[in-house]
Amino acid sequence: MIRIENLSVSFGDTAAVKNVTLELRDGEILGLVGESGCGKSVTALTLMGLCAREARMESGRICFDQEVLAEAGKPRDEALYRAYQGARMAMVFQEPMTSLNPTQRVGRQVEEVLKLHTKLNAQSRRQKVLETFEEVGLRETERVYQSFPHQLSGGMRQRVMIAMAVILRPRLLVADEPTTALDVTVQGQIVSLLQEINRRQDNAMLFITHDLDLARRLCHRIAVMKDGCVVEQGETGQIFTAPAQAYTRKLIEAAPSRMRQREIPSSGAAPQTPVVEVKNLSVFYQEGSNSLFSRGRRRAAVQGADFTVYQGESLGLVGESGCGKTSLSKALLGMNRMIEGQIIHHTVRPQMIFQDPYSSLNPAKTVGWLLQEPLRARGALDPGLAMTKGDMEAAAYEMLLRVGLEEQYFHRKPSQLSGGQRQRVSIAQALITQPGFLVADEPVSALDVTIQAQIMELLQKLRQEMKLSCLFISHDIHVVYQMCDRIMVMREGRIIETGRRSEIFRSPKEAYTRQLLCGS
Amino acid sequence: MRYFAKKILTLIMTLFLVSAAAFLAFQVIPGDVVTSILGTEATPEREEQLREQLGLSKPPVIRYFSWAADVLRGDLGVSYRYSKNMTEMMPVAELIGDKLPVTLYLAALSLAFILVFSIPLGVIWAKSRSRLLDAFFGVTTQAAMALPSFFLGILVTYVCGIVLHLFAPGGYVSYQKDFWGFLRYLLFPALSVAIPKIAMTARFLRNALLTELSADYVRTAYGKGCTGRRVMYCHVLRNALMPVLTFLGMIIAEIVAGSIVIEQVFGLPGIGRLLVSSVSTRDFPVVEILILYITFVVIFVYFLVDILYRVVDPRISEK
Repeated sequence: MIRIENLSVSFGDTAAVKNVTLELRDGEILGLVGESGCGKSVTALTLMGLCAREARMESGRICFDQEVLAEAGKPRDEALYRAYQGARMAMVFQEPMTSLNPTQRVGRQVEEVLKLHTKLNAQSRRQKVLETFEEVGLRETERVYQSFPHQLSGGMRQRVMIAMAVILRPRLLVADEPTTALDVTVQGQIVSLLQEINRRQDNAMLFITHDLDLARRLCHRIAVMKDGCVVEQGETGQIFTAPAQAYTRKLIEAAPSRMRQREIPSSGAAPQTPVVEVKNLSVFYQEGSNSLFSRGRRRAAVQGADFTVYQGESLGLVGESGCGKTSLSKALLGMNRMIEGQIIHHTVRPQMIFQDPYSSLNPAKTVGWLLQEPLRARGALDPGLAMTKGDMEAAAYEMLLRVGLEEQYFHRKPSQLSGGQRQRVSIAQALITQPGFLVADEPVSALDVTIQAQIMELLQKLRQEMKLSCLFISHDIHVVYQMCDRIMVMREGRIIETGRRSEIFRSPKEAYTRQLLCGS
Repeated sequence: MRYFAKKILTLIMTLFLVSAAAFLAFQVIPGDVVTSILGTEATPEREEQLREQLGLSKPPVIRYFSWAADVLRGDLGVSYRYSKNMTEMMPVAELIGDKLPVTLYLAALSLAFILVFSIPLGVIWAKSRSRLLDAFFGVTTQAAMALPSFFLGILVTYVCGIVLHLFAPGGYVSYQKDFWGFLRYLLFPALSVAIPKIAMTARFLRNALLTELSADYVRTAYGKGCTGRRVMYCHVLRNALMPVLTFLGMIIAEIVAGSIVIEQVFGLPGIGRLLVSSVSTRDFPVVEILILYITFVVIFVYFLVDILYRVVDPRISEK
């Protein structure tokens, strides 16, 4: 049995974890859920003895069976921890790419665990690594052994990470958002693998996630964290059917899910006026080449796309990373001119909302300035639409209120805002010129669930108020389900299925669409 | 194979462009080799005669191409200034052949110092957690980097040569004659070349190491139960060397091309000194060949760095 007793951890003056008590039994999966910054990762890293040096254990202790691994006020026994790390407790991280050493063959990286904790000779170490690779579902194990991380796919890398973690059958496995960085179809496979390992090896697993749906499917018990505290803890069924805390309820409600019905804002099924027509569109990109003598090869990112966005409609586009979603949206906005086929716009100056509100807003400018920028640009392009300074400011203030931000934010800089507030600013920026057509490229993917729900609500509201037509891009089919009237499914550069939302969900024609629906 | 062909083609093109540019520069800058040899008092007839003798009476374009054709044939020409004996002018190949080894020995010794000292220093600095040590390293490297090389040269000469009598300043013997003497003469110039570079490289390596130490894979390595030492030497160091390699390449190119100031200060007969004197006397054949040499060295070293990159980081060769 592994126990975290009354643990408090702080960085400098800020407390990251406050009086957390958790217990893990063999064979049990404990889900630790909460939004980013709630302290769930710090808890796990402290448990593993991997916390940054600046972190201070203020109170509590960590016990592994009868052994006390760490206790507040005592210096950490590094040697004792090393004996546990990798052998009796192991961790799987969120980013399998950066969590592997890029310049070492993955076989050697996994073998290192054996080198550190066993007395096996080189031959049997290698044998054991290959066996473990097979156990975690890797094929062509010899080839994988010899590969560098960048030569493997995301899913394979995460399997390698898992192999590294389970090779010595640790009593405790900590998985910190192990599927977040992966594509939906791969996510399902990794979750089943972890579940299978838990059953086969009968170890205790601490599963950290922000995804409540996932926690519900996988975990036996769930602990909900908020602001460094565990606010609720209990059996999974009980947490979901009768959450005791308001915060837990809020989390559950925020999760995008097709379980809950949403009233579809009936776009009136008005005479279907097209806003954007795309005919047999192929989008290319130039492969990077820095040679003087040869141009990079042209590769197709999107092939033969055919679709129309109608007035007032929200059209969803789903697909996994690298399937061509973003290439298509860039072509639509004229940011990539290497295209074949036709794009016909019936409105002027379509706008875009970007995924990452942290990097897409100029950090040196104030919110007010940022909001007026599209107006200035429009005025410069089309003198007939130029506005006076006062008008622009007034428009910016009005837009700010419309996206739910108070006036005081006008003079703030993006760095002083939270992720959700920044995304509100991006939305305001896109809508201030009242474009007829909007492309939203994963506008909620970088946000926490509860914030996600708020932003989606805001977008719905604005869409109705401003009679917007939009192309809504996401890798998460549930988000698209909540936001869109019609849905297109994209795979490897082609649109393989288009249909009304209900059709796609009730009777998907393509096997791939079914996979997307079940995977997540 | 295609890679090599491309590299060689680039090398040839660069050499051509650089030599043409240097030739052009010689046409433009004021000063005349004939006056610089004969002085201002010479008769016009004597000047004309020398001009003819050096082949300077032909138009510049023809002169450039005949020079280039000679070089391609392996004939590097003769120096305008140095003579072998009373009747013969000094061939450039021989002249440079005399001086180049000195510069190369100096460069090799300096590089050895740089590698031997900067890597451990960088590692120790990156690992140091005490503020005092960190500040100490910071200040000393800063100071070493800021010292002008002529001053450092003078300082070393004074302290090691004049006060401690470790070597006689201003001399040089070839290693065939006296190996230890040779080493003693080179040691101190090499130190003067190396000290600022050691400081820069150590600083650079330390920064690269600190960046790498915060990478995710380091956490993974600790999670396996690696000791700090193992993490540093088996995981981090190799990745941190990537940016340092570029920097080392620049340094190597610089010192192999001749440390002009240090050679002057220590009176070493290397090509750095030769270059300075040839430029000031308008000794065109010597300068052209030296420029070609320097260009070649720079490109070749960068090429080596490029190959080393591929060895260190498997991700590059596959792009």
